Amino acid sequence: MNEVAPPSLRWSREADGSIVLFPAGSWHLAESTAVQRELAEAPPGEGRSFVIDGSALGSLDTFAAFELLTFVGRNGMPVDGVPMRAMHERHRRLVTLVADRLKAGCAVPAARRLRFVPRIGAAAIGLHEMLLAHSAYVGHVAVELARLARRPTTFRLREAVAQFEAVAIDAIPIVVLVAMMIGVVFAYLLGVQAQQYGATIFVVDGVGMAVTRELSPVIVAVIVAGRSGAAFTAQIGLMKVQQEVDAIRVLGLSPAQVLVVPRLAAIVIGLPLLVYVGDLAGIFGGAAISASQLGIPFRTFVTRLHSVLSMTNVLVGLGKAPVFGAVIGLIGCRMGLSVSADARSVGVNTTSTVVQSIVWVFMLDAAFAVTLQHLGW
Amino acid sequence: MPAALVCVDQVVTRFGRTTVHDGVTLEIGAGQVVALIGGSGTGKSVLLREMVGLQRPTEGRVRLFGEDIACVDDERLAALRTRFGMLFQDGALFSSLTVAENVAVPFREHTAFGTGLVAALVGLKLALVGLPRDTLVKMPAQLSGGMRKRVSLARAIALEPEIVFLDEPTSGLDPIGARAFDRLLRTLADSLGLTVVMVTHDLDTLTSIADRAIALHAGKVIADGPVDDVARSRHPWIVEYFSARAPRRSGDD
Repeated sequence: MNEVAPPSLRWSREADGSIVLFPAGSWHLAESTAVQRELAEAPPGEGRSFVIDGSALGSLDTFAAFELLTFVGRNGMPVDGVPMRAMHERHRRLVTLVADRLKAGCAVPAARRLRFVPRIGAAAIGLHEMLLAHSAYVGHVAVELARLARRPTTFRLREAVAQFEAVAIDAIPIVVLVAMMIGVVFAYLLGVQAQQYGATIFVVDGVGMAVTRELSPVIVAVIVAGRSGAAFTAQIGLMKVQQEVDAIRVLGLSPAQVLVVPRLAAIVIGLPLLVYVGDLAGIFGGAAISASQLGIPFRTFVTRLHSVLSMTNVLVGLGKAPVFGAVIGLIGCRMGLSVSADARSVGVNTTSTVVQSIVWVFMLDAAFAVTLQHLGW
Repeated sequence: MPAALVCVDQVVTRFGRTTVHDGVTLEIGAGQVVALIGGSGTGKSVLLREMVGLQRPTEGRVRLFGEDIACVDDERLAALRTRFGMLFQDGALFSSLTVAENVAVPFREHTAFGTGLVAALVGLKLALVGLPRDTLVKMPAQLSGGMRKRVSLARAIALEPEIVFLDEPTSGLDPIGARAFDRLLRTLADSLGLTVVMVTHDLDTLTSIADRAIALHAGKVIADGPVDDVARSRHPWIVEYFSARAPRRSGDD
């Protein structure tokens, strides 16, 4: 048998001018380069008719049959109905099958790629549509909340508590760590400047205000966006892909009540608590660095803080947190529900949730800063 | 007699305390359409996964093309993997790639063909499994279950494998689609000279296209041979299995 011999191609010219091809050896994908080389060296028989003689053919697969027929087709002969002789029954069937399918046409349409400017346009339109859908979704959730207000017993307490644990309780260590580091850095940099004027005690005023009013709310919101916002999108998105969301709907439940409201409740309640934890950790970090590097004893720090830190600053910081939480929760849930049925879209939407949440947090924070300044708070 | 392509030797598989296989031995030669049958939980799919090296048996050996698949190094395994294809139960198409891109994956990974040739071969493979041209640019999520299985089959036969392993090829298809898929399998097996190893629950698939049936029950092979012989076995499970679909009559014979 020629099963393992490399593929080769001989040819001869018949009396009637047609060309007989004698493929021999193993015509197989594993020998693709040899197959292609053999065919490239075959005679260009433009307009001639070909006959395939399979008497020396060891093995043949669809790839080799395809190449053989493409060669015949290139030379201007229809690929179906190429005369074959002395072919093994299996090879004949294979060639016929491939010729059949080739005739049906099998070119793959190329995917379209956008150029630079159209891509910007497409992104702008996409952003516009997304923002419209976001505002529609806010309305949808508001309706669901109103429905819940009329029948408060439908609130899913167990799910909300589980989410609260994931959003708030589990985030405490990372919040403490990050907020403390921020307090340390802020107090230290401020202290170095203040020392030049012999006014190190004002570090307490600075740390107290900056941490409670700005740093802790924003840092905590960013952490929660990265932890919980992303988790919401990934969880709900995968449920969407596996049709669990459809199942919820078919069971006569509302996905908003089952999935969205408990998560929103958890994040709106959890975020201010985390901000409070962040306040304590940040101030503690500031106090620790003040004691060791700036010569402000811990007790002095606390006394000073007590007299200069106004309640307004703390309340403004804590008051911003539920707003940030609501925005992160809404974006996380909506991006999860808008996942389409493939794995990539879960990733794209999760990334998008984190980016959108962080952008929204900073924009809202700026709006708060300006508005509250005008209000004199 | 050519050497067996798949050789399962005294395989024992345990998950924790549950023993799934308790000494399974079988051989599959070239050019057969073999069906693994057995009740749910008898480890048919697990055996299939062990044959393709996705899972290791607890004891015993599985040889594919004469090599112990659990012991070969990564390079040999990669080479072996181009010699067989696998069709997963729900198709397992890459959901973020189009149909054409899915089928192109094996070519891109294992051959050095140019874009044009790959596109032409992808078109050919999809035509071989009987898919219309407009499905090429669709995403897997847009396809029906039967079409997804066809695309998956096209991907499995892309690199001209010698064996295809199929996990419940007709599950989730309507009877017409299932019979069409059976015919397609038989045509491909005959014309491409494929060896087909499949796990199936479908009696019609079994009787219409399988050459040989292997029945697993309680961790052992209880029957192995031509489908008709297996169907005549007196083992109670097999008797029940083959009568599960028989039309019921009222009254006496």
